[in-house]
Amino acid sequence: MPPALEYDHVTFGYPGQRDEAGRPRLALDGVTLSVKQGERLGILGPNGGGKSTLLKLTLGLLREQKGSIRVFGQSPVGARRAGLIGYVPQRLEAELAFPITARQAVAMPAALRVAPWRGMSAEQSHAVEEAIALVGAESFAGARVGELSGGQLQRVMIARALASRPRLLLLDEPTVGIDPAGQQQFSRLLARLHETLGLTVVVVSHDIRTVALASDTIACLSRTLHSHGAPEGLTPQLLADVFRHDVAAIFGDVHVDAHDAKACKGHTHAPPKEPRA
Amino acid sequence: MNTIRYLSDPTLAPLLWPAIVTGLAIAALCSLLSVLVAIKRLAFIGQGISHAAFGGVGVAAYGASLGAAFLASPLAQFGVVFLFCLGAAVVIGMLTSRGKTEADTAIGIVLVLAMGVGAILLRLARSGVAVESFLFGDIFMVDWTDAITAWVVALLVLGVLWWVRRPLMFWAFDEPAAGAWGVHRRGMQLLLLCLLALATVTAMKLAGVILTTAMLVLPGASALRAGRRLGGVLVLACVVALAGVLGGLVLSFELDWASGPSIVVVLSAAFALARLIELVRARRRNFA
Repeated sequence: MPPALEYDHVTFGYPGQRDEAGRPRLALDGVTLSVKQGERLGILGPNGGGKSTLLKLTLGLLREQKGSIRVFGQSPVGARRAGLIGYVPQRLEAELAFPITARQAVAMPAALRVAPWRGMSAEQSHAVEEAIALVGAESFAGARVGELSGGQLQRVMIARALASRPRLLLLDEPTVGIDPAGQQQFSRLLARLHETLGLTVVVVSHDIRTVALASDTIACLSRTLHSHGAPEGLTPQLLADVFRHDVAAIFGDVHVDAHDAKACKGHTHAPPKEPRA
Repeated sequence: MNTIRYLSDPTLAPLLWPAIVTGLAIAALCSLLSVLVAIKRLAFIGQGISHAAFGGVGVAAYGASLGAAFLASPLAQFGVVFLFCLGAAVVIGMLTSRGKTEADTAIGIVLVLAMGVGAILLRLARSGVAVESFLFGDIFMVDWTDAITAWVVALLVLGVLWWVRRPLMFWAFDEPAAGAWGVHRRGMQLLLLCLLALATVTAMKLAGVILTTAMLVLPGASALRAGRRLGGVLVLACVVALAGVLGGLVLSFELDWASGPSIVVVLSAAFALARLIELVRARRRNFA
């Protein structure tokens, strides 16, 4: 059984992006990480730390410059076309003024596979209804997307990803704009999907609570992979390395005491290369 | 009732019917596009494209005055103006990808440059056609060739929209997600801009360069306020566009106003009505 995700020394830099010395600035540098099938991984990192880039590479929207990525043993593009990847983007970017129902939104990816002169097949419609039922969105499936609450809209987005019956669920910043009660609901839903469908789940976020709620293991990403292991391995020192001066931002009101740091239980893949400020 | 008298008058009627037939094609063409324009906030881009048309008009007229006889034919003029609009659409589309500010500035520049070049060349060409006719539209500039062209373009655009409706809707609703599912984002944007350019050239003679954007903004903006479901919104946009064109032409016949401004007045009234419906509905929901 191949791993769900296998990143082997993945390196990527956007053209034209250079550091002060004029060298190409890399968005991702030698990222090596393997995710077993059925694992729940959280990828934690600061904004601009390469999280979105890693997602785009995984979806095959960008191509790695060095190294390789395999998704269930296939190329990212092949895995995406085969419907193995269910992607849940940040919902803030959808045009909620668009007058479609939640059900229509869920059916959109499936509809792409239908020839223009045909309607959706009965099997496809069934898959859409099944996905709506899986996330418990039956009661508002007929409502306009603009009328849904943040939590409801998120369930619709997850249903849209599930409608192709994927084996990997990729979620990008899933808790932005969702209240604490909604976040609890979200993590319960994710746990249930993981259990009933045996999905591999990857949650990408800058928010440590989101990642901790939804994952068995956590990888810290800031251009390079700083660690990968159980959540207990996240020490304030490690987070300070990953987030630089942004620790206060991710912890919010949580008190951080560096002297109280537990030993890092995760195994470190690559040490931070730059000297600490 | 001037309208009925004009349309049954044996000398006037042949001059007026082409405008009405063209108007119907424009309504069908612009109404569906306007929904996309309103959702993707492309009104200002549409403005830039329609003003580029004026530059195209100037180039065609000047070329014809220099002796390029083929430019005198209506189809060649349509082609030149379309190329101008398409060029503007592509430039604007490319700059939009680099960021909002740059696009805003670019559209502003394209807009005034095309207007300036058009005005100078039209003057140099001494074509005898009043500049106002191009700016505000003129029923008497529209003949049967225009009417046939308008219907061919309208059916073509509607056909393309129907063919790509699924990726187009996905793109319009959630662009990053559509990209992740394999929809070509730049391709969709370019396609929509090309269709806008086609619609602009078609609507230009009747609605005028300055006011063509009204047809590409107001029906969609009104329908999105008053309608609830996608199907309803599309039908409403068609109804508003038809009311705008036909009502505008009647106003134009009755009061002897230019056709463009008359259409804009009716469309704006429809928008005000749609906004009112939206407000009443919101109030009712709050008290319910």
